Amino acid sequence: MLASVGAATLVGVEGHRISVEVHGSNGLPSFTIVGLPDAGCREARDRVRAAVLSSGLTWPNRRVTVNLAPSSVRKGGSGLDVAIAIGVLVASEQVPAASIEGRSFVGELGLDGRLRTVTGIVPLVHALAGDEVIVPASAFREAEVIHDGLVRPVSDLRQLCDALCATEPWPDPPEPGPDQACVPGPDLAQVMGQALARRAIEVAAAGGHHLLMLGPPGAGKTMLARRLVGIMPDLDRAAAIEATLVHSAAGERLPRGGLVVRPPLRSPHHGASMVSLIGGGTGSVRAGEISLAHRGVLFLDELGEFAPTVLDALRQPLEEGVIRVSRASGSTVFPARFLLVAAMNPCPCGEAGRPGACRCSDLARLRYARRMSGPLLDRFDLRLMVTRPPVDDLLARHHVAESTAEVAERVLTARARAKERGVEANAQLTRDDLELVCSVTSDGERLLRHHLEAGVLSARGLHRVQTVALTLCDLAGADPVLDGDRIAGALSMRVEPARLLQAVGV
Amino acid sequence: MPLSAVPNERDVAIVAALAGLPGMGPVRLRAVLAQRSPAKAYELLTQGRFNEIAELKSVPGLRADDLATWRYQLSHLGPSELLAAHADLGIEIDWSPEGVSIGRLRDDPDPPLMIFQLGANIDTQVPSVAIVGTRRCTAYGRSVAARLGSELADAGVTVVSGVATGIDGAAQRSALDSGGGAVIGIVGSGLDVVYPQRHRSLWADLARYGTLLSEYPVGTPPARWRFPARNRLIAALADIVVVVESGERGGSLHTVESALERDRLVMAVPGPITNPASIGTNRLLGEGCPPVTCTEDILAALGFVAPALKPNFVPEKAEPQLESVLEAMGWEPATIDELLLRTSLGLDELGSRLMTLRVAGKIVETGGWWERNSA
Repeated sequence: MLASVGAATLVGVEGHRISVEVHGSNGLPSFTIVGLPDAGCREARDRVRAAVLSSGLTWPNRRVTVNLAPSSVRKGGSGLDVAIAIGVLVASEQVPAASIEGRSFVGELGLDGRLRTVTGIVPLVHALAGDEVIVPASAFREAEVIHDGLVRPVSDLRQLCDALCATEPWPDPPEPGPDQACVPGPDLAQVMGQALARRAIEVAAAGGHHLLMLGPPGAGKTMLARRLVGIMPDLDRAAAIEATLVHSAAGERLPRGGLVVRPPLRSPHHGASMVSLIGGGTGSVRAGEISLAHRGVLFLDELGEFAPTVLDALRQPLEEGVIRVSRASGSTVFPARFLLVAAMNPCPCGEAGRPGACRCSDLARLRYARRMSGPLLDRFDLRLMVTRPPVDDLLARHHVAESTAEVAERVLTARARAKERGVEANAQLTRDDLELVCSVTSDGERLLRHHLEAGVLSARGLHRVQTVALTLCDLAGADPVLDGDRIAGALSMRVEPARLLQAVGV
Repeated sequence: MPLSAVPNERDVAIVAALAGLPGMGPVRLRAVLAQRSPAKAYELLTQGRFNEIAELKSVPGLRADDLATWRYQLSHLGPSELLAAHADLGIEIDWSPEGVSIGRLRDDPDPPLMIFQLGANIDTQVPSVAIVGTRRCTAYGRSVAARLGSELADAGVTVVSGVATGIDGAAQRSALDSGGGAVIGIVGSGLDVVYPQRHRSLWADLARYGTLLSEYPVGTPPARWRFPARNRLIAALADIVVVVESGERGGSLHTVESALERDRLVMAVPGPITNPASIGTNRLLGEGCPPVTCTEDILAALGFVAPALKPNFVPEKAEPQLESVLEAMGWEPATIDELLLRTSLGLDELGSRLMTLRVAGKIVETGGWWERNSA
């Protein structure tokens, strides 16, 4: 009278294999679930019993105990419903025990016995590698794309029972819906002028350099940032799986193919709390925006309006590529390797760029500038002032700007070059790596020396400028030789923090 | 110190305490101290016998709660401790019943009753020039101010200004750095209250290598109305007031008014007619102020040398390809996008030339705007 069924539960963004043990014995009829279930999981009692009865099966009139092993892991949600129901049916000998060997079950039950999909289907199925996995029919596509073994879509409990008892064949997978043409994002060709800023987002996409744009309202900062994802290359399979796991665990809608192939763009509002940004929450810990932006772009518009504590919390994930959320009940690690793109006005009125145009008081500007912490500012390899395009650019009729497709091609080549150097993007090159892969001409060195001596470039900035210059070489398809022009190009996209703040008016 | 008898220490302490009261400006202070000794005024104020100070009745804008605040503050602050605080900071207090010891200030139509001083004593025999201007200056204004400041100091002229951000600070910093003539900063707060905060180091250097003057005792916060009062002292101390950049309205135009009332020569630096920071100065030129086209113009007005025939701000020519960028830039701030349109250069080429020009000190960049550097 014992059954053990394979299943999985979600911890953070990872699935954990769970074994659902069901024991039926003599005694007063009852139904208990033990093994650290949370409220949603404990409610399975009522759902499972109703689903079994309405599927025309028999509920055992015995003392039924369900144990979710290992009992040290907290189990949440309704994804164990199907496994518990099958456990009860096996324990009451309505389903042969042999039929569940090597099979695992994921899904929630409706009172009528229907199988429903649950949040985090991708990580749950991912954790059950090697098994044949039974999933709700509506979750088939997501499960199939991640799973290496056989995936069986089932729409209700009766159907599942029949298939396990071998009285009916397994149902066919649902017809794939019409493949929606991927809606292209906004195109770079629509951007008027902004030569330097266009170059900057291209470099950011190619080299993985974090980008900060300062400029007056209406200069096009947000517009440019939104076009940045468009020129980034598709994620490779490993990266796509990482991104898909996070998206699924957070209950985000997945694209039709099931895999997040395009780099995601997340742009949280500046009112975002620390928890919503980096992840956390009471009870089950959820991934935050920075994890949803994993392998994609985190765009912080109006950087100056974010709470300073929230921004400072970004520093550790920027450094390590992961965020460790610790709670009394344990700590969870979320992936968070994202490209940070931020935009802000140079001062509250936004006009501080053009000399003499700002209407803010000194105090207001000071307070505004103080919100940008130096260490965070330091993480941006590309910091540029975006100015409003001149009238001639805006009104140009025969406007021939490069399109997203053209730029994306260059970015792809540059990324391929970075891969040959053993990194994903140039931004990850260390100082030693850099010396091995490229050389600086005497012209370039002279320019760097001047800027160092003039105090417009810091020692740390030196390495970053060279990395950006290397990305410029890659984009141009040139040899990795940092000559005067490349260094100048990199320097023109990097304003030192002190000078940025000066522009802001401190 | 004046030649008359050493002033009574208690009197000095009381006048210092009175000068630091909120809302107490030179006019009110004179009214309080008219026709009576400081000790008597102190007694009347602390006892609330305001009616007996007849002069206060004719002071415009004075309210009953001002008097109540004064009475409260005076009875809670010991004048002798205030005096000790000044001694600790090395601040000298200049006061006597006949007026302050600096002749130009004593003979002023609106004389300060007490002057607090940090740093070197002032030699009023040396010609002095005030360099003033807007806090919202352009790179052009800043560089002109710096150049005038250092060249005047090199010529041994005393440079006077207000330690404000923008033109004031630029002129004083470069005058101090040149190590020539004396540099005087006149401030609108107590000498221990650094304002603006970003000029902390300039403040300290003025106290060490130059002179800092204030009408107010330590602890006095900067208040809006104290700055026009400060401006009249700048005008009073200077032989010539040079306005480098000024918007349509602003403190520097107030200094100009004070200077005209005192028959001081006002000179103005011309600027582009499209630059909002030059509206005020260009208007002054229209009204007949002599223009400043080089430092020699000012020195000539002081009677130093013959006026230079040629303005010396003509920059030397750069290499032809760099010169084309400079020409495209003109004398007004321009963005990279504008320069791309004007020069028909590629982004790489333009970027590289801009960097070379910046390294050469020919242009500066603020907030994405590139400007020619005239200095």
